[in-house]
Amino acid sequence: MKARRVPFHCGLPLNRRWFIRGAAAGAFTLAPWPLRSALAVLSRAPVLSGTDFQLEIGPTPINITGHPRIATAVNGSIPAPILRWREGDTVTLAVTNRLSEPSSIHWHGVRNPSPMDGVPGLSFRGIAPGETFVYRFPVHQSGTYWYHSHSAFQEQTGVYGPIVIVPKGGYAQAFDRDYVVMLSDWSDESPDAIVSNLKFQSDYYNFHQRTLGTFVDDAQRKGFSDTVADRLEWGKMRMSPTDILDVSGATYTYLINGQPSGANWTALFRPGERVRLRFINGSSMSIFDVRIPDLPMTVVQADGNDVEPVTIDEFRISVAETYDVIVQPKADRAYTIFAQAEDRTGYARGTLAPRPGMAVAIPLMDPRPLRTMTDMGMGGMQHGPASGTDMGSMPGMDANPEAKKLQGSVGVDNVAMMPTQRLDRAGEGFPPGRRVLSYADLRATRPGSDPRPPSRDIALHLTGNMERFIWSFDGKKFSEAEPIVLQRGERVRFVLINDSMMEHPIHLHGLWSELENGHGEYRPYKHTINVKPGERLSYLVTADEPGRWAYHCHLLYHMEMGMFREVRVP
Amino acid sequence: MIASLYRPLIIGLLPIALIACMSPEPTGAEESAAVPLGVDLGGSGPVAETPQPQVPTRTAFAAVGHASEPQRGSEMQMAHAGHNDAHGTGTVNSVDPAQHKVNLSHNPIPEIGWPAMTMDFPVAPSVDLKAIKPGTRVNFTIQQQPGGMHEIQAITPAGGGR
Amino acid sequence: MSAYRTIPSAAALVAFASAAAAQTPAAKDEPTLSMEPLPPPVMDQGIFAHAIFNELEGRFNGGNTEFRWEGQGWVGTDYDKLWIKSEGTLQSNGTLDDGQHQFLYGRAVTTYFDLQGGLRSDIDSRPTRNWAAFGIQGLAPYFFDLELTGYVSGEGHLAGKLEASYDLLLTQRLILQPQIEVNLYSKADPARLVGAGFSDIDTGLRLRYEFTRNFAPYLGVVYEGKFGQTAGYARRVGESTGDFRFVFGVRAWF
Repeated sequence: MKARRVPFHCGLPLNRRWFIRGAAAGAFTLAPWPLRSALAVLSRAPVLSGTDFQLEIGPTPINITGHPRIATAVNGSIPAPILRWREGDTVTLAVTNRLSEPSSIHWHGVRNPSPMDGVPGLSFRGIAPGETFVYRFPVHQSGTYWYHSHSAFQEQTGVYGPIVIVPKGGYAQAFDRDYVVMLSDWSDESPDAIVSNLKFQSDYYNFHQRTLGTFVDDAQRKGFSDTVADRLEWGKMRMSPTDILDVSGATYTYLINGQPSGANWTALFRPGERVRLRFINGSSMSIFDVRIPDLPMTVVQADGNDVEPVTIDEFRISVAETYDVIVQPKADRAYTIFAQAEDRTGYARGTLAPRPGMAVAIPLMDPRPLRTMTDMGMGGMQHGPASGTDMGSMPGMDANPEAKKLQGSVGVDNVAMMPTQRLDRAGEGFPPGRRVLSYADLRATRPGSDPRPPSRDIALHLTGNMERFIWSFDGKKFSEAEPIVLQRGERVRFVLINDSMMEHPIHLHGLWSELENGHGEYRPYKHTINVKPGERLSYLVTADEPGRWAYHCHLLYHMEMGMFREVRVP
Repeated sequence: MIASLYRPLIIGLLPIALIACMSPEPTGAEESAAVPLGVDLGGSGPVAETPQPQVPTRTAFAAVGHASEPQRGSEMQMAHAGHNDAHGTGTVNSVDPAQHKVNLSHNPIPEIGWPAMTMDFPVAPSVDLKAIKPGTRVNFTIQQQPGGMHEIQAITPAGGGR
Repeated sequence: MSAYRTIPSAAALVAFASAAAAQTPAAKDEPTLSMEPLPPPVMDQGIFAHAIFNELEGRFNGGNTEFRWEGQGWVGTDYDKLWIKSEGTLQSNGTLDDGQHQFLYGRAVTTYFDLQGGLRSDIDSRPTRNWAAFGIQGLAPYFFDLELTGYVSGEGHLAGKLEASYDLLLTQRLILQPQIEVNLYSKADPARLVGAGFSDIDTGLRLRYEFTRNFAPYLGVVYEGKFGQTAGYARRVGESTGDFRFVFGVRAWF
């Protein structure tokens, strides 16, 4: 997209596309001075450093699409201010709730004592309206993390922000500049309306369904009888392979550091410098495929933990994950940071440039992926990581023992009969020829700190009923299920089988999830693990911190509809 | 009485309004403020050379170096050092006579491996910008300067105007 | 940021900070131990309510015009819902025909089907009848919407109703919907011009355009047919037994 300027502009940047895309910047210069100063806080999240922090959650006017709305924000900015901590410090954060409903802040990926974890109902009572809750905990880790509300749908309406923890011993990789790139999704509709719509019509936001037109196209490509057979196969299951993300660009505007694409959020560099980009997916329901055309990225950290550097062209970042990459742009030109939603209904876009005001063509979005029979758990792809010594049980053997029990129940619309290990595959929707990051590429730089093998396996099914929009573990919503109890100090293996046909980023609070991806004791430490449809994977957990830990899918509406459990370490 | 004020007011304000409308684009500094800029959290500082000791289970990792990365210095070479003139075509978005800069939306320049972009260019002091107006399609020649910027050495309207 | 923006932003932050600091002492007064149970971390037992008009249309056959509605609504949780269903046809002479209203309790029993039970009242210009209702509603394989209900009246008469429809997407917003409703009765009811056996069919093809998901005007054709004894009653009072009509209406839900 070239920014074409109209010659007569009366001193204002009258780029029509900016206006249509609702750039805050455009409205900014038109606004009278007092309003501009208020909006100034929204246009760029400031950085808060030190050991004592004051955060205030309150209603804030916002205008992303040209329709003004009231968002919920921390210190009046979306994303919330970047919190910059130092490993080894003890941080004190006084969080005041100025909303008219209870609120909370959870420090995602940060290991702290259970009462400081910020989950109302498990860690504490929540922060009542008008109340101030003081979090205080020591910081024993470094890396990129984030924080967000764990109350109702406040995470969707703006309570999310980055955390950068500076390492005590210095960085493993050198870089000259350091930018947080926080991806998120914004809807002018209220989250309650979104959920209510999905409860009545679960494909409400899917405007890329199969039609007569796609039938004719497929019939021309694959033949009439093959297409009919394919439609009948999916119809019999009452499923649609066009189901990629529940809430799409039909209502979402995708944001990069709180800015829509038209605003052209820019990170500056000098040619030849090494730039660290801390990508955080702080969205509620959106999985992004991130790339910088013409600039390869070297992944150095995943979920805040160092990994052996791996150079790739693109990565898929699921909700709540973080990836730190280092790029080294050598040319005196601009680059587009392109984060397209997995269902290709929109994108977030920023620019990496030597000077402000530069812009480069935005690439077209890739073709939309379609779900396959492998995603439905019909097997078909039996790839596994090279050294499968710690992969849990092999695929095929006792593939899905609980299948019979779950099938047909109200909370379950599909059971993966042959779930597959696909950690070496990034997923569907990537054109050939691009190097895309997969979980098998993540190798920790240091061996794990607990060498014990697990004493038991805990198998959980990721289930849901798309038609009723119910989401669950093992077919049971949170209110219908018992906590998962671990012994203090125990080492267990969680085995997740995704019976549904959507990705679920599964997040365990308080304890590290060591993903078994074939690298033996160099398995990566993660806090959020994205399980692909029809996939089976496993990870090891040491229950070294007591507490009542939340364990849930980080797709916000899935979590709230029941895909939540308590993991209790007495 | 109002009528008698009305006409002079219009006659007085109209040229001001016209001048305001025709004044050039905001200067580069103001324009950059209109584009939201990322907050640079700074460089890494000295890289940790020796691995940190193993930390106990309940605390997570400190970032520790593997000194296997090539030194930064060798990568500071400019990609196009020693390059001379490159030629391009594009459209003028704005002209800043005070700072002697133009903002162009230009086509790809394969000679130096540039894709189509929109950006500011400093213009060599000897170049006359009088014929260059916003909206003009232009041919131009650029040369990389010691500081890394590409400076316009020549710029002429292409045939056909707007 | 230039100076004139930094100052108000900094001032705002200082204002927030001092307000928060002023609040902090209050936090220390909070009781550390509370006997009340904690609220649940997620509210997955939410109550939702929706209503839809599948048919809200004028029916034209060049002679007289009818107005027909057919809609339903529910309120409840994932498992338990209270349903209300209503349909009726307003004739051009002001009489209300085919009025059937149901008040049901529904329970989700399988992945795609709910079991429903309750009351049906036939209220229109003809004598009122009440029935006990029992049936299932849901999504059948190949995406057919299906409602199958059986009824028992106070006198022990039986009735049945089958409703089915299918949404064929021509484009993302242009949708062709064939729809059918069939009624049958075990015993004739002359006062309501209803005969025993298969009584009547109301079937149509509607083409709607979804400007939004919630509001979609449509046009189409319907066939109102009467069989057997019902047809006989209809002929006796001079009504037609098989009627093609052009329809224009709106499908709306909230």
